[in-house]
Parts: sequence; structure tokens; C-alpha cells
Amino acid sequence: MSRQRSHMPFFMLVKLAWRNLWRHRRRTIITLSSIAIGFGLAVVSIGIGDGSHNSMIRNAIKLGEGHLAVQVPGYLEAPANYKYLADGHSLQAKLEALHIAGSVEARISLQLLASSANNSVGAGLEGMNIVSDPRVAMLKPKMIAGHWLEADDHRGVLIGDGMARKLKVKVGGKVVLMAGTQGGDSQAQLGRVRGIFDSHVDELDDFLVLSDIDFARRFLTGEGAVAEQLPVTRFSVFLNDPDSMAQWKGLIQSAMAGEDVAVLDWHEMMPQLVQFIVIDDAGNYVFLTLILIMVVFGILNTVLMSVLERTREFGLLRALGLGRYHLLLLVMCESVLLSVLAVVIGWLVGGGAHWWISTHGIDFSALMGGEMSIAGTFMDPVIYTELSQGRVIQLTVIVFAVTLASGIYPALKAARVAPVAALRT
Amino acid sequence: MALLTLQDIGKCYRQGEVEVQALTGIDLVLEEGEFTALVGPSGSGKTTLLNIIGGLDAPSSGHVHLNSTDLTNLNEAALSDFRLFQLGFIFQAYNLVPVLSALENVELIMVLQGRPLQERRERAEHYLALVGLKELMQRRPAALSGGQQQRVAVARALAPGPRLVLADEPTANLDSENAAALLDIMHSLSHEEKTTFIFSTHDPRVMDRAERIITLHDGSIIGDKRN
Repeated sequence: MSRQRSHMPFFMLVKLAWRNLWRHRRRTIITLSSIAIGFGLAVVSIGIGDGSHNSMIRNAIKLGEGHLAVQVPGYLEAPANYKYLADGHSLQAKLEALHIAGSVEARISLQLLASSANNSVGAGLEGMNIVSDPRVAMLKPKMIAGHWLEADDHRGVLIGDGMARKLKVKVGGKVVLMAGTQGGDSQAQLGRVRGIFDSHVDELDDFLVLSDIDFARRFLTGEGAVAEQLPVTRFSVFLNDPDSMAQWKGLIQSAMAGEDVAVLDWHEMMPQLVQFIVIDDAGNYVFLTLILIMVVFGILNTVLMSVLERTREFGLLRALGLGRYHLLLLVMCESVLLSVLAVVIGWLVGGGAHWWISTHGIDFSALMGGEMSIAGTFMDPVIYTELSQGRVIQLTVIVFAVTLASGIYPALKAARVAPVAALRT
Repeated sequence: MALLTLQDIGKCYRQGEVEVQALTGIDLVLEEGEFTALVGPSGSGKTTLLNIIGGLDAPSSGHVHLNSTDLTNLNEAALSDFRLFQLGFIFQAYNLVPVLSALENVELIMVLQGRPLQERRERAEHYLALVGLKELMQRRPAALSGGQQQRVAVARALAPGPRLVLADEPTANLDSENAAALLDIMHSLSHEEKTTFIFSTHDPRVMDRAERIITLHDGSIIGDKRN
């Protein structure tokens, strides 16, 4: 004859667990509050971290070389003026044929010596489309003297305030830009300072000279390039959807097959920024871990206290025929309900705070003294929280899993109750 | 027909370095529908014997047969299911699940047995009516007096229709009127439905109603008489 087996319906399990949870209303509310506030803090903290990182990345991409760059192999490791893409015209045609969702900017980067009547400094000349290049939107508002270059200005240059101080030049002053050629000769171009910018990034303000691309191209023709082929140092690709970077990288690599070019993404071009974000993220994870430890002890305290208080009751249930497995399920169900409530309330608290900060931002300028320069880019002083869908899922799963795991010990303790001993208590 | 057979039951506890012989050489046969009281002074082994019969505790020696099932051969999970489907328990006090209403408490065992809602609701209401608590069946234990709680516990033990009901001092916290009413109900069930009752008791009111009185002393049966 087959054995009759006990059966704990789901509704009874949830009903018992839910009511048990509210036996000590105040204790449950305090526990829920502490978990929810901790979770909310974690959401805001991670959101601020992601927001500031994304802001830095966006700034770095706009100021730097875009999401993707097409340039001569080996340029990144050892930049040199003679490492250029000679037939920029045909490469640009190939890139345009891809109909990239974003923009493609031709750029020329050169290392040279900038001299005024007073001084000489090492400089980096960046020739670009002075109307459409994303750097225009970044640096034009940061002009502190003079004006931005006009579209047909093939002689004008813009310099940072650091270089202006070193060269002791003002708007309207002359700067001679001199570069050596691969053959050992030197070539020079005269630039007229049209404006001075202050980006708050010392690496840019002390070093960068901006000009129209045609002005910079004169140095490449001096290296032997054919001007009609529109030589460039690189093509920078700015994507509308940064998440599509890997996909576009693959497509560009395919389109460039047979060409002597390297297609790099911003991770490869700015390893120091990637490293900074990794280290900063580690700090955020330490904070998150501390919060999770708080959550674990909160749940453990509540559920374990509740289990220890009910030893006799568990003994009674065991005596009546409830199996160990059902007691384990019951206490785990209490932890699950506590976790679900904590995560929901935590999201209401953290999500609400995130919504507010992502809309209004937090102004850290008093702390940062304006924009803060980090790893060759800058962080906006007003930080907005950002949370990707992946982060939302990650945080929810981590907190839920941790709260669930902290219910395991009390559940095992409940399941181990021996009815005879428990009924004597 | 024998429902319960105990063969040479012994139970030995260890308390630190000391061995305590709680039961020795218990042989007992109970027929279906018997209304039996286990009596004896404190420490005589009444509760230990009830726990062994109920599969809550294992004997150190001997065998317990309920019908054809040897309880001493069952593992813990099987014993747990055995208690659920075959036995009814009534404890001295604090018997109920505090977060369930009287009706839900009485239904609980039948829920765990997997009985359909209508059947368990009808039986629960019937037995609550029998113990005079139908009007209060939606109340939780905290809103019931000690006597009312014990009556709910009796209804819970009886409603599933167990073969054997084990009751440990069931009337200890009841006034005379309530005790007599409960004993009446249990007595009639033992006759009408052949439910077997075993009480551990010091209460003369129970002893007066019992049809068989087994007296324990120092873990051994020293008397077995029928009223």
C-alpha cells in the first residue's frame, strides 16, 4: 500500500508566512525600513557612480577620438606625424557607404613645437572640421577670450589658457608651429590666435592647439602626402547608440578589410580612463557590500528571532504531522516575502531618489571647485544618476539573493526542531 | 480487534553521565474504540509512553504496532505522515497556531492531508459546533479563553477522523463544565466511530469516565483495570 504523504498547498504556505511576518509588526517594519533605506542608498550610490562615469566617458569620447577610431596600425603605441592615412578620400567613402548611425569626423593630429616671440612649448595640433566636430560643442562654450574659428579661416588657431600663459600670447597674437619631417627636415606654419579656451583639463589647456583640418593638412603634404587625396591621421566615429559600438566596430573592420588600418574602440584608446572607472567601481562595490552585510544581519535578526520564539509552535506542528521540509519551506517563504517587500520598498525609496537626481542632478561644484579633471577628461560638476536596465536587474537580483540566503540558517534551525524537546519548552 | 500493540517497550534516557530508565518492559494491547486513561504519579512515564505511541519519540527497545504498521521501522518522514493521517493529538496547553483562526486551526490537518475544501470546511464547522464554538470560529486563539482554545484543539484532533487520539492532560486547564462536555463528546465518538482514545491524566473526572485505567509506576505497568 502506498504511503499517504502530507501536502502543503501554496496558499497555506503563503498565508502562514505572511501572517507570521506581521506577528511583530514593529520589528518587521523596522527591519523592512533598514533594508529599504540601505537598498535605496545603494541604488543612489551606484546611480551616481554610473552617472559620473558615463558623464566622464561621454566627455572623453567627445573631446577625444570618438567611440571608434580608424587610424594607422601602431599609431596609438607610438604616435608620429608621418603615420597618416594617405588616401583619406577613399577611406571616407567606404565609411560613408556603411551609413553609420552617428557621425564620422576626419581629424589630423600632429606633434610639434609652438613658438611665440617669448617662448616655445611642445604642442599637439588637432585639425578638424571646426563646424561639425563634436569637440566644437564641448570647447566652444569654454572660450574665455576671442572667438571660435570661422568656417573659412585657414590660418586661425585656438589655444588653451595654459599654453597662452606659457607662450605669453593673447588673442590676435602669432604662433609659429614647427614640426620635423620623417626625412629629417623641418616645416613650419604660422597660426594666428583667434581665441583662448579653458577646458579645466590641464592636459588640453597646456598642450592643445586647434585648427581647421586644411590648416593641419599642410603639415601632411609637407610629409609627402597628396592634398587631393585628403590625407588624415584618423577618422573618429561618434555613434548615436554607444551600446552598438561592438557591432559597428565589426562592420567597419569588415569594410576596411585589405586596408592597412586599425579600428580601435575607446576602451583601447583610453586605457587609463577604463582603469580609473574599474577602480572607482570597486569602491562602489565595497559600499554595496557593506550595505548587503547590513541587510543580511537585518533579515537574520528578524527571522532568527522569530524562529527562536516559535520553537514550541514548530514542535507542535511537527507533532501534528508537518514535515521538516514544510517547516523549512515555511521559514524560507517568510524570508522571501520579507525580501520581496524590502526590494519593492527599496526600489520605491531608491527609485524615487534616482528619479529626482536623474532629473535635477546634484551640484558638486562647491566640493569639486568647478569641473574636475580626471584621466584626461572631466567630470561635470552637476552629476545626474544613471541606472541601466542591467544595473536594475543586477541590484534587484543581488539584494534578493542575499536576503534569501540570510533566511537559510533560520529555516534550517526551524526544520531541526525536535517535537518532543520543543513541546517541553 | 487490536488497534495498538506494544511489545516489551523500554526507554532509556541519558542525563549527563546518568542513565534514566523511563520505561521498562511495557506490553499492552488496545482494542478499537477503547477509552483508556494512563495514570500514575509525575515521572512515572505517562508522557514518554504517549510520545512513543505517537511516534514522537523512539523506544530504546521493543516494538509498537498500529494495525499492521510497525512504527519502530518507520523513518522520520514516514512517522510524520503517519501522525498526520492516523493520529490526533491534544496537548495540555498552547495547542493552537496563533496566526490562524479557530476554523483555520481545525482545518489545518485536513489541509495538510490534501482533503477538498468543502469536505474539510464541513467537518471543521461540525466539530466546532460540537464543542460549542461555531459562533467564535473566525476568532484567533488570542481572542479565545484558555478553555475555548482547548476545545478548539479537541475539535482539531477529532475533525480529520483519526483512528487513535492521544491526549496529554487534556482537561488540566478546564473547568468542570467544559471538561465534562469534552469528555462526553470524546466518549460518544469512541462508541459511535470506534475512535480509540488514550489519555494521560491525573484528573479524577477523566478517570471516572475512562473504560480502562492503566497505572504506571517508575516506568512499568502496575495496574490495568476496566471500569
